[in-house]
Amino acid sequence: MLWYKSWLDTRWRFLVALGLLMMSAGGIVLTYPRVLALLPLVAANDSGGALGQRIREAAALARDFRSYIWSQWFHGNVRQEWTILAALLGTGGLVAQGSRGALFTLSMPVSRNRLLAVRAAAGLGEMLVLALTAGLLLPMLSPAVGERYALGDAAAHALCLFAAGAVFFSLAFLLSTSFDDPWRPLLIALAVAAVIAMCEMVFRGLEPYSVFTVMSGDMYFRTGRLPWLGITASLAVSAAMFYVATINLARRDF
Amino acid sequence: MAETIVVETAGLQKRYETVEALRGLDLRVPAGSIFGFLGRNGAGKTTAIKILLGMVRPTGGRATVFGLAVDNPVASVEIRRRAAFISDEKDLYDSMTVDEMIRFTAGFFPKWRADLEQRYLQKFELPRDRRVKALSRGMRTKLALLLSLSRGAELLVLDEPTAGLDPAMTEEVLQALVSHAAAEGMTIFFSSHQIAEVDQIADSIAIIDRGRTVVAGALDDLRENFRRIQLVFDGEVPAATFHAPGVARVRRSGRVLTVLSTAGAEPVLDRARALHPVSMDVVPVTLKEIFLESVTSED
Repeated sequence: MLWYKSWLDTRWRFLVALGLLMMSAGGIVLTYPRVLALLPLVAANDSGGALGQRIREAAALARDFRSYIWSQWFHGNVRQEWTILAALLGTGGLVAQGSRGALFTLSMPVSRNRLLAVRAAAGLGEMLVLALTAGLLLPMLSPAVGERYALGDAAAHALCLFAAGAVFFSLAFLLSTSFDDPWRPLLIALAVAAVIAMCEMVFRGLEPYSVFTVMSGDMYFRTGRLPWLGITASLAVSAAMFYVATINLARRDF
Repeated sequence: MAETIVVETAGLQKRYETVEALRGLDLRVPAGSIFGFLGRNGAGKTTAIKILLGMVRPTGGRATVFGLAVDNPVASVEIRRRAAFISDEKDLYDSMTVDEMIRFTAGFFPKWRADLEQRYLQKFELPRDRRVKALSRGMRTKLALLLSLSRGAELLVLDEPTAGLDPAMTEEVLQALVSHAAAEGMTIFFSSHQIAEVDQIADSIAIIDRGRTVVAGALDDLRENFRRIQLVFDGEVPAATFHAPGVARVRRSGRVLTVLSTAGAEPVLDRARALHPVSMDVVPVTLKEIFLESVTSED
């Protein structure tokens, strides 16, 4: 029954996230013919500087469907969307629930650790479903634009999304055991994400070790090998934050 | 045979940063009793209840429920398996229907009593398909009662159970509690600052003030033993400290010395005669007076 309660608490966030990700994935696939039509214009572009270089790189990647999907979605839009949605799913829980059922939950014969574990597992389960559904939409919709996208690629990128997203989920989850409103955990988690993204931009040498590099599946795209080190590190950081959350909740008075 | 004690605290303390909510609370709740836990707003009643149910961690002293230490996380789960709790806010899950709340709660309690569930559904006329957020405060209270009474609990803990209810609903709730306790042998521990309802249904009480127990015992014994003795002098009240067995409060006002005794009037009268008052009056004390005397500062 705790699973059902967790589902009730997060179902709207999950459904909105699912809708957004599916629209985003579908939009990327279905606009591919229009992008192809624009490519000859890019070839004639002779803009100099960093901007011109980036346009030419994007155009080069767009000539191949797999590269286009990676550059525009996994390495593009989805990193921001996924970070926000993961943090959003991580907020809430007993502390934020306040007078809307927290004492009732705490009066049940269940330990706080179990309450937290069920909520974490339900949230991570929802994230896995989101990552797989959005990822699998790519091979399903690709024939509509006369292209093919490998199921294995979709699953590999979904795994990368899930593991890196778990970091922001667990960060928001941990913060939710300290703050009694859903907004501060969300805003702080997003602020941390923004700082990581800025560091990645400023210190280019750090990019290979960034959680966003794991999220985009950069290594898998370039080499065909999953970034196991990054995935393991992300899941370990996430597990550490869950552990701190259990300590935090055990100490808390309601 | 020794009396079985369901809830026991000794010197229980709770400090929230700069606020001392409990400063040595002593309680003994006998099995099968209806125990009224009285105190002013902010006296520490809710904090004490939350400590008993593992929602708040004590900072000192000792507390057990069913002989299990409340600050042990494993024991605390066992306590909640055998006890039910209704908070003053009657907080339930707004997004669930009445039926979903019942199924959700029943899932945690192997001894769930389907017969009681049906009985209280009919008695309280609860609409099974209605969402909790659409229920009136009275209906929420009834649903919370159904969920507590049907789980086969040995102890029911209620924090201000009738807060915000109209007199008719209050009466209905109190009657349901009394008849359930009588039929099922359940111990009821309820906090309140409504003296009348405690007087109506409780058989034992504790009055707390500023986090300490100031009066405790069986209500009949308290009614028997509490006496107010009013001594009038023809001049100023003697300045000597008034000591006698059972003296709870001494108040001086002009020529009048009022003594509240918890051990009958005789020990006080024996002592008072030596002071040569003009008159000595002994009056029984109501629960309301006991409460007011107990929570008012001594001069």
